[in-house]
Amino acid sequence: MASIAGEAPYEERSLFVRKATGLVRGWSVQDAFIYAFFSINLITLGLYIFASGPFIPKGSLMLAIILSGAYLVFQTIVYAALIAVMPRAGGDYVWVSRVIGGGIGFTLAVCGWWFINWHWVPIYANILAKEFFQPLGAILGWSGFVSFWSEPKGIFTASVITAVLAAVFISIGMRGYAKLQKLCFYSGMAGLLIIFGLLIFHSKNEFIAAFNHYAHHTYHSTSANPYADTIAKGTYPHAGSLGGVAFGSTLLLIPMIAFFNLWSNWGATLYGEVRGASDFKKNIGAMAGALIATTLLAVILLLLIAHTMGWNFYNSANNAWWGGTDQLGGVWPYPVTLASFFVSPWLQFIVILLMSLWFFGWVGTVFLTASRVIFATAFDRILPEWAARVDRRGTPYFAILIMLGPSLIISYFYAYNTTFTSWTLDATLVIAVTFLGSTVAAGILPWRKPEIYNASPIAKYKVAGIPLITAAAALFLAFLGFCIYKWLSDGVYGSNNHDSLIYMGCLYGVALAIYVGSRIVRKRQGLDMSMVYGEIPAE
Amino acid sequence: MRLYFATDVHGSETCWRKFLNAAAHYKADVLILGGDMTGKALVPIIHDGGDNWHATLLEVRTEMTTEEEVAAFEDRVIRRGYYPFRTDPVELQRLSEDEGHWHGLFQEKMLETVEKWMRMADERLGGTGVRVFCCPGNDDQFEVDEIIDNAKTVELAEGRVIDVDGFQMVSTGWSNRTPWHTYREEDEPDLSARLEKAISGVTASPERVIFNFHCPPYRTGLDDAPELTEDMMLKDAGRAVKPVGSTAVRAAIEAHKPALTLHGHIHESRGNCRIGRTLCINPGSSYEQGDLLGAVVDLDGKKKVKRFLLTSG
Repeated sequence: MASIAGEAPYEERSLFVRKATGLVRGWSVQDAFIYAFFSINLITLGLYIFASGPFIPKGSLMLAIILSGAYLVFQTIVYAALIAVMPRAGGDYVWVSRVIGGGIGFTLAVCGWWFINWHWVPIYANILAKEFFQPLGAILGWSGFVSFWSEPKGIFTASVITAVLAAVFISIGMRGYAKLQKLCFYSGMAGLLIIFGLLIFHSKNEFIAAFNHYAHHTYHSTSANPYADTIAKGTYPHAGSLGGVAFGSTLLLIPMIAFFNLWSNWGATLYGEVRGASDFKKNIGAMAGALIATTLLAVILLLLIAHTMGWNFYNSANNAWWGGTDQLGGVWPYPVTLASFFVSPWLQFIVILLMSLWFFGWVGTVFLTASRVIFATAFDRILPEWAARVDRRGTPYFAILIMLGPSLIISYFYAYNTTFTSWTLDATLVIAVTFLGSTVAAGILPWRKPEIYNASPIAKYKVAGIPLITAAAALFLAFLGFCIYKWLSDGVYGSNNHDSLIYMGCLYGVALAIYVGSRIVRKRQGLDMSMVYGEIPAE
Repeated sequence: MRLYFATDVHGSETCWRKFLNAAAHYKADVLILGGDMTGKALVPIIHDGGDNWHATLLEVRTEMTTEEEVAAFEDRVIRRGYYPFRTDPVELQRLSEDEGHWHGLFQEKMLETVEKWMRMADERLGGTGVRVFCCPGNDDQFEVDEIIDNAKTVELAEGRVIDVDGFQMVSTGWSNRTPWHTYREEDEPDLSARLEKAISGVTASPERVIFNFHCPPYRTGLDDAPELTEDMMLKDAGRAVKPVGSTAVRAAIEAHKPALTLHGHIHESRGNCRIGRTLCINPGSSYEQGDLLGAVVDLDGKKKVKRFLLTSG
């Protein structure tokens, strides 16, 4: 605001924009928030991994969620800054290949977004089986149907359903998927509010009665008091300590929690021209907003679980399930199922359906980012031209095939071969290593690409004289370094498996071989691949 | 023949300089700029009295107290593709209240810049034997054509069939309708008639023909743009994309089967595709970052394009 002496104040105009293609008014933070919110999915990834809390018995699950959620805001700053400097489709691949180098960029992006997501398909499928098919089957009294989803053929069937659903969502395109996600978001949130309501307005005694009733009637428990027996068989020291501050153990829970809250940047590549500093802030707002909102919801849900079900019961139920001594016939004690015990079976059915939208609005994420990486690498001529081909309806059928086909093969081995299952334990680690590459690229970007960085709206942000992007990258690197070190060194996460490391190493080897092979083939074709990334001098 | 194609530099002087240097960098015989050369915004640098100036770029306000700082700021604005101008609060208010006045200033700055760019091309490429073509796009005012047509080194391509090293290139910067009502856009039937009229001058066989059409063909992945709401906001934060290319351009490619087609217009849709044997390329644009996205294409007149690379320079 400025004014000229003697005249009324006027709004000083800092920009005169003429009519031109692409000039838009902006975008809604809420829309971007939904995608990030579904990526760090409280109901699917969150509840699934919270069940592993008993493996670090002294740690405070709630404190670990709060600490990691707060710290991961640095991750959102790193990615929002990368988007502001280089707003290009392809995300991690483009940033690392342009800042560090093509070979590293390709290897990290292809492993972290494409190859490893084949292995995430059976993980998603496990969640689908545990949060959708089994609870619904139990309500309907189909005991054979319930047990089917725990068997190899059930896991494989769920993997096929997951992979086909993700492929269909890519086929309908982001436009259709965004609409579906919005529907799932609002309906899923309505479902969560119902769960909150059920937990708020019922007492612990009512829960004990309801649990005992349905453990007998729906899950055929033979115990006289399934609630008490669940605690008796599953309890462990500190199981009832909701807010314990065994700080060291709580920190150890963070690499476990990362399975759930490390993904706010999943849809980091925005389309459209970045207009200025406000877009940078809006990107942080969307990603950090989703992270904080999800963290708060997680805390509320856990507090309500503790209030109505009992914290000792919740942990004991999970521990008993892991130990095979549970009272629900081997079915995972899905908190949504437990909370729905307050209402009639038909209402339980509706609640489970409503809450399944957290899965169906999320399942497309397993392939969507991969398809962008496949496209970006094909356009850089590393992958063959056909990898980015689309049909007349715009469907990227080859990209879908090279996601779908291998994911089904891997799902088959995952379901039927326990040795192979153990090889896939490093699925989170591989994506974290990709983030590590992008974070290093972000940290050195002001020096590696000074012209592009200085022309960006984030160049003015500094912390103690250090570019904000570098400071945030250093802090996020510390987080990733800690998690990766713990995953590799501590058996509690189940990921320091020697065979798994060799297998994942082979995936990196394959990616590197594709890159090197592509360079050789292109050279024979007379194509100098250094031209893809080499900067033209401006002067 | 090796050609280098870039597009949608939108006033970025960094990109234009890189474009001119691309001939030596990529050993290209021909440079083609696909359209939308001119910038989208004017940035006032306001004199606050004495040695004090201030201005805002990318929503970041900068205070300046020396001529060097002001010149450096102007340079930043120019590199980004905007046009800086020095003013004072009184003049700025007058401009703000008179649309015709600031549009006039805009046109003056825009045409000045195109003239300057033509001179730069003469200095850098005059006498080198490298042919340089520009075909203004839908965002470029018609006055730009005259300046290019009068340039020594750069040749105007709009609406013409040009012989290049044994190939024929047909060009137009016109597009189908956009929500912004830009200078060179029209309904699909009219665009089809325009394309056919230009193509009617082609005498070479399809494998020796290049279409340089600013607008990409419909539903090819080269034309996916963010969907907009009624109030011109990006729907679903820019993630909901839809094809906005031209059906007329697609029909022309399908009917005439040229070896290569070159497009721009949709900055986000960097990529390549095939329509039959025709290789279609949209290198995209990152002009705001000063990153010149382009394509290096080798043609030998055989049935298919010999080789190509999308570059990020």
